[in-house]
Amino acid sequence: MRTRSIITNEGSGARINVTPMIDVVMVLIVFYLLVGQLAIDRKASILLPSSHTGIDESYEVDPVIVGITAEGLVSINGVSIELNRFAGEIEGMHTRAPQTPIRVRADRSAPYGAVRPIMHTLREAGIPRVELMTEQRP
Amino acid sequence: MNTAFHDHSAHSKRPRPLNQRNVLTRSSRFGPNMTPMVDVTLVILIFFMASASIAGHEWFLRADLPETQDPNLQESGYSLPTPMLNADLFMRDGQVFVRGIGDEPRLIETIIEQIHSMEDSVAEGLILGIRARDDVPYWAVVSLQDAAASAGMRIAIR
Repeated sequence: MRTRSIITNEGSGARINVTPMIDVVMVLIVFYLLVGQLAIDRKASILLPSSHTGIDESYEVDPVIVGITAEGLVSINGVSIELNRFAGEIEGMHTRAPQTPIRVRADRSAPYGAVRPIMHTLREAGIPRVELMTEQRP
Repeated sequence: MNTAFHDHSAHSKRPRPLNQRNVLTRSSRFGPNMTPMVDVTLVILIFFMASASIAGHEWFLRADLPETQDPNLQESGYSLPTPMLNADLFMRDGQVFVRGIGDEPRLIETIIEQIHSMEDSVAEGLILGIRARDDVPYWAVVSLQDAAASAGMRIAIR
């Protein structure tokens, strides 16, 4: 009975069978990519409110995601930012790409007092409308 | 002796039993081995399916940001010639109330039912201007927007 070995001596000479290693490496890469993305979301720890209605559209340009946690911490595209720097950052983004949609991902339990300054800043920056992210209610 | 030798030779040339055949012997394979790729693809597929079911589906509600600070929102800053309802959300005894829709403040659940019961011809094209106090939870604002959007209203955040 032949035994399996990672080093075979068939053919022209001994060689290492790299197929299992490629399998494992690929699975690990995919795993870390997904877990990393989930970790970023978890770090933001935003639980979206749910809604019966909603729009599911995708655009050619990536929208700017404004995150607001339950504690009132603000982030732009996953990067935390102080509230006093938020206005300048969002105005710069809007000036560079006025057509880029703005999506607000605010925690369902956040007090509206944490959301209002963001809305006010967006309005002051000349942004006419926002997209409020929700979770589809089953 | 010859007969015995002949018999042994004949036995060695006999085909192997079916249960001893290996259909995937190296000699019978041609081209790349697809098995690991199929394995990895299946694992990735299952992982994506599982993560998608855990994460839930996200979508969005669209809301206008009218420029005016006028409480009536009827002035030049918001130039849409559309009738407007103004809803003011506030907390009382740990519950969310809405002022502005109807004669007196009512629980948000009552207002949502009232919006759902509106006829499409009435609700369609209306703008619901929403204002909320600092202590009102964000989910309440979104719930009102959700009801208004399902009735065909347009939403303006004030």
